[in-house]
Amino acid sequence: MLEIKNIHKRFGNTEVLKGVDLNVEKGDVVVILGPSGSGKTTLLRSINFLERADQGSMVFGDKKYSFQKASKKEILEVRKKTAFVFQNYNLFQNKTALENVTEGLVIGRNIPKKKAYEKAVEILTKVGLSDRYDFYPSQLSGGQQQRVGIARAIAVEPEVILFDEPTSALDPELIGEVLQVMKQLAKEGTTMIVVTHEITFAQEVASKVIFMDEGRIIECGTADQVIKHPKEERTKQFLRRITNDMEYAI
Amino acid sequence: MKRPFDFWYIFEAILDLLPYLVSTFMMLILSILGGTILGSILAWTKIRRRPLATGFADFYIYIIRACPPIVLLFLVFYGLPEILLRGFGIDTNHFSQLFFVVITFSLLFSATMAEVIRSAVAAIDKGQREAALSIGLSDMQAFIRIILPQATIIALPNFANSLIVLLKEGALAYTIGFIDVMGKGILMIGNQYGAHALEIYIALGLLYWSITIFLEQVFQKMEMKFAPDKVYRVEKRSEKERRKHEF
Repeated sequence: MLEIKNIHKRFGNTEVLKGVDLNVEKGDVVVILGPSGSGKTTLLRSINFLERADQGSMVFGDKKYSFQKASKKEILEVRKKTAFVFQNYNLFQNKTALENVTEGLVIGRNIPKKKAYEKAVEILTKVGLSDRYDFYPSQLSGGQQQRVGIARAIAVEPEVILFDEPTSALDPELIGEVLQVMKQLAKEGTTMIVVTHEITFAQEVASKVIFMDEGRIIECGTADQVIKHPKEERTKQFLRRITNDMEYAI
Repeated sequence: MKRPFDFWYIFEAILDLLPYLVSTFMMLILSILGGTILGSILAWTKIRRRPLATGFADFYIYIIRACPPIVLLFLVFYGLPEILLRGFGIDTNHFSQLFFVVITFSLLFSATMAEVIRSAVAAIDKGQREAALSIGLSDMQAFIRIILPQATIIALPNFANSLIVLLKEGALAYTIGFIDVMGKGILMIGNQYGAHALEIYIALGLLYWSITIFLEQVFQKMEMKFAPDKVYRVEKRSEKERRKHEF
């Protein structure tokens, strides 16, 4: 359904993506692992054109887009097929939880207000925030904010949801509630690309795990293949380090 | 010959001056309008970071900021008629002083507003725009619906400050013969050969103090109203919740 070919991106003198290919089927949960600076976030942002890649193309559904040359109209088209969940939530500070969810429906998709409202209520209930509709982001905890962020993303019924380290800004206590919502989505067959450091989450729900380093995909396969039985030395090194961290975590 | 200080004359003077507040406010409102429109264009130019246009905007802001208001006032008062007459064949002899005053203070206010607006927009996290784009809003929609409302709140205190500065600088307008409260005060002193000058200046001081306090109050209320997620609503909500629990 989504096929990325040979994507390149450089910031100044640093080449962040050095030709990455990625294939996502409907219902896939693709988890991208890798050390910081490996280009995983840039890859995700390039898919949504939040970053303009220098080279490469993408087939999305039955349409082909060039990363470099996509027109404004094409970019808007891609953005309407995708949704993004940010590391820092990025909820609209001037809008309530409910308005955060309806915004994309009413303004982005021209859905009548009343219908959008009903849908937003339904989705916020689903992520466990039925008592927080008219709270502003600054009145919500990090975990609640991120669940609103996810609600805002699923409301627009995207074909793919892109998660950029959705739990890495959260207190350890609050990570669980966000992951639970994501697991629920995975169970329902939502197509997701997730950049994360949550190995356990990857093992439980990923249909495909990708390990990236220095702008390239080093290893790709099922969770079992990549996490339990990695072939490449670089992957083993990385996994050893983050699982060690977990043991020492107090 | 000097008359003795007359306390009650202060109130008489205030009553005489009051009607001329209309001119003061007229000048203020028109200058704010002109200055904000021009300032927004300048700010927008700077935000877009086109080298040539930004350079021009910076130059303009520098020139206006470095010019004492009274100098700018006379530059406009004497210079603009020349430009209009020679360049466009427009005779400004019958133009009222209000025209020149508003042009001057619009120019002054625009330089301040350009920075106020630019810094307020720059203060909004770029994630706000990205989040708006990611759910399918256009750049324009993201700006109007998400960025502008937040930037307005940030700009409000600075805007209020600039406005109060403008009010005080506006008192200079009498120097080109504009009759606002200040101009009327000067006229009253002149008509009485300098008698009761102190009382009239006290009256003027009281008027300007009152207007400033009034403006400050208005802007404080506006800040609370426009910042829905700030203290104001939280208090209101907790009050509502408390009441709910009581039942």
